[in-house]
Formats: sequence, C-alpha cells, structure tokens
Amino acid sequence: MSIINYAKREISFKIVYYGAGVVGKTANLQYIHQWLPDGNRGNLISLATGDERTLFFDFLPVSALSVRRFTAKFQLYTVPGQVHYNMTRKLVLRGVDGIVFVADSQWDRLRDNVDSFRNLEENLKEYEYDLDETPYVIQYNKRDLPNIAPIEYLEFLLNRRARRAPAFEAVAVGGKGVFDTLNTVSRMVVVSGFAREEGGAA
Amino acid sequence: MSMHEVAIHEDTARRISGVLANFLSESAAADVLLIDRSGQLLAQGDTARALDTVSLSALAAGAFSSTAAMARLLGEPEFTMLFHQGIKENIHVTAVDEDAILLATFDSRTTVGMVRLFAKEASAAIGAILLAARARADRGEGPAGPLQTGEVPTTFRARSASAVPLTRGGDS
Repeated sequence: MSIINYAKREISFKIVYYGAGVVGKTANLQYIHQWLPDGNRGNLISLATGDERTLFFDFLPVSALSVRRFTAKFQLYTVPGQVHYNMTRKLVLRGVDGIVFVADSQWDRLRDNVDSFRNLEENLKEYEYDLDETPYVIQYNKRDLPNIAPIEYLEFLLNRRARRAPAFEAVAVGGKGVFDTLNTVSRMVVVSGFAREEGGAA
Repeated sequence: MSMHEVAIHEDTARRISGVLANFLSESAAADVLLIDRSGQLLAQGDTARALDTVSLSALAAGAFSSTAAMARLLGEPEFTMLFHQGIKENIHVTAVDEDAILLATFDSRTTVGMVRLFAKEASAAIGAILLAARARADRGEGPAGPLQTGEVPTTFRARSASAVPLTRGGDS
C-alpha cells in the first residue's frame, strides 16, 4: 500500500523479502545496508533469535530516486523463514507493495522453496491480495555453492505463472545480484503505484 | 485487490498536524507519531529532539499487530492500547482505526492516564480526517497518471561499483 504525502512530496512503498528459512533474505538487506551511500539508507533493524535466525522481521528503510518531484522511499522487510513462524510472517505482509521471493538454489532445498512460494500465495490471499497483481521478482540465491540446481529447473518449479517474473541469479553474501534484484522490484512498485494512482484504488 | 494507497494532501497534513500539536500540549507527552499499520510513518508532532521515527514506526506497527494477533487467539477482536514502561521514558500506542495507530512517548512530566485520555480524543479526530483522506484517494484524485518508461530512473547504486557484478536476469 503506497503512501503519498503531498505535503512532504514523498511516496513510500513496502517491499518484503520472502522465502524459506536460511535462504539469504537477511543477507540481502545486510549487503544493501553495507553498500548503499549513507544518505540513501536508514538503520538496519533485525529482530532475530540468539542463533541469528529472523524471529519477526528485519527492517531497512532506503530512499533513492526522485519521480515527478516526489522522493520515492522504500521500506525493506524480511520475514522469518521457519515454517512455524507463519503467523508473524503473515503480519509482515500487511500493506506490501512488492515482493522479492528468495529461493535457495541447492537441490536439497527445492521442496522448501516450493512450500514457501505456496505459503506466500496463501498468506497474500488472507489480505485479499493477488500475486498476479503484485509486483514481484524471484532471486535464485547461493549460486556459488556446488550442489545447485540449474536455473532452468528452478524456473520450471517457481516461475511458471502466466506472467513470468523477472529472475536473478545471486550470491547475496557477496552482493552478486543483490542490487539488480532491488532495482528491478523498486522500479516495478513505482510504476505500479503511479498506475494505481491514475485509476484510483481498485 | 484490496490494496489502496493513502494520500496525505497538504490540507490533510495541516489538519493532522493541528491535532497532534494539540495532543502534545494537552497531554504533555514528549513525541507523537501517526503510523500506518503496515509500518509507515504518516505524520509526526513537532518536537525538538531527533528520534529514529522511521524505525520506531516499523517496530511499533509490528508490536501492535502481534498483540492484535494475540488478542484474536484469546477471542478478543483487538487490544486497543499498548503501554511500555521504561525507567525514564514510556511508550503508549493506541488504535486510531483499522489502518492506523497513534504512538506517544512520555516521561515523568505527565502520567499514563493523561496520555491515554488525550490520545483517545486525538485518535478519534485523526480517524475522521483519515476517513475523508482515504475517500478522496479512492476517488482517484491523484496527481500522477501512469509513468512513462523513461520517467523511472536507475535507482540504487552501491558505493563501490566493483563490488556489484552484473547478473543474468531482467524484465521479460
């Protein structure tokens, strides 16, 4: 749900990094936080357990571009990946404008990716959001590991809806693909936000 | 699709500012933030100190939504108020409407009772203003019109270009 503030000339969007446990959602935000210029980023907040698994969410506010004299701001969130945290995962999706689905490329995590993607669709439905109408991109992470599935197979599993989502190969801990993913999803939510504004809310 | 945007026009912003300023003077709270339940800051009262209001908003919305989920587990529709007590500073969060919450910070210069009393009044006033603002957004009185491809600039760049190798992928 984009928020347009005419008084401050700001438009803000919420982007959620979604995916199974330990696929690298937090690593994306950490890399972005580390490498964005200070003026473009706020504080990175992580609500994590003692073993560094996300308990509720990670949060990183970033701002970059100026569109039609508005400053576009993006609030980046991750969800907890573990299956049993579904309730908190659902809460984070509230008001989402764009989604990055982060998949683990390793063979032994394929099932977890598929389950998480289905879980995303189900949780969106609870807010009456429809994935087909929500800007989203897919990131195939951990491409540096030895036991990974080919991209074509990952695409076959996760990117087979009528509208193919933009997809990126990534090594989030090293930064590969991280900014391409962020730039694509942020551009998509901006275009979608302005298109909605034109027609009024659906 | 139920996604809808909130549009805060200048006159709406002025009216909300008026309510927030009035709240601060009546309650003697230190800060006040109006927060969308998705975690985004909608407006804030004019106070002297610099707080990380963006982070506070995201965390308060998270805390409020998780207590609402706890309420539902008990069969309550929602807990309408949250109160965190610190040694010097306290936080009071109250529901404005289904989409917004009001957060106040306060210290020993006032009491939770005073904050609660005036937060309730401020919430009702802001709820009415937001209702009108949303109705306006729903009528599509927006500024914009669809963007042309060339209007969306390249967005984020890392400080060191060499750290971000290009990858395969893109729109298709």
